[in-house]
Amino acid sequence: MQNNKTINMTAATKGWFLLITLSVIAIYLPEFVDNRSVTIMGALVIVVLKGQQIVDVFMELNNAPKLWRMLFLSYIVLVPLIITVIYLA
Amino acid sequence: MSNLSITVEVPDKKLPGDLAMWFFILAELTVFAIFFIGFSVSEQLNTEMFSLGKAQLHQTAGLINTIALITSSFFVAIALTKIHKAQAKQAVLLLLTAKAFAIIYISVKIWEYLSLFEQGITIETNTFFTLYFLITAFHLMHVLLGMVILSFIAYSAWQGKYQNNDVSGFEAGTSYWHMVDLLWIILFPLIYVI
Repeated sequence: MQNNKTINMTAATKGWFLLITLSVIAIYLPEFVDNRSVTIMGALVIVVLKGQQIVDVFMELNNAPKLWRMLFLSYIVLVPLIITVIYLA
Repeated sequence: MSNLSITVEVPDKKLPGDLAMWFFILAELTVFAIFFIGFSVSEQLNTEMFSLGKAQLHQTAGLINTIALITSSFFVAIALTKIHKAQAKQAVLLLLTAKAFAIIYISVKIWEYLSLFEQGITIETNTFFTLYFLITAFHLMHVLLGMVILSFIAYSAWQGKYQNNDVSGFEAGTSYWHMVDLLWIILFPLIYVI
């Protein structure tokens, strides 16, 4: 019987494709956006989106107790947020 | 009026792998958070130096490494689905594929270091390169440790140790590998992009 807590290949493949796409967008962001503040915020929003994919799809924390999922999602939001505040200060 | 009842099966919430591994991962993430914040503060104090330093890095190498680590993590995630389906041999092959991508990451990183050394750039060149070498080498050490862990769970899977849905050891190993990926997706834009 297939474990219903396990991610399926489709979700993992979609996650992989999204992660690769976002990584490519991130590296070319400075070439398309002149404003450094916008580049920083854009790159760090991409970090949050990528982090959510890794936490929920690859680490399978979308099926974990809420506290653990929130801990990891907080990390991938808080760290980029602090970095953004430092850069834009 | 007749009563209609619907039974919905709600899966119980379970943390994959061992609790100890998750605490270890949290500790590792905290250490790296300090590095990332320290790097950002130093950049704000030495804007020009960091801008010049980043210009000397090879962005394409950074992108190749990002793709290598994400792809490696993808194969590790698929390996976990196979072990859940009791397909241990396929899981081992997927872990070996994941390790091949990790070797690409390591090769590119070593090439990057050697290229910088050839330009006379070392850990003592300036604050930017001190932090660059410290953070990336520390991350590289985690990649190496992750590869040892992947080898261990691949060997255990080959020996048939993950049976009857007792896969917590395998899950713990894969979770550690995804942490390495998670750290890189913050490290990459911080050092190479912004």
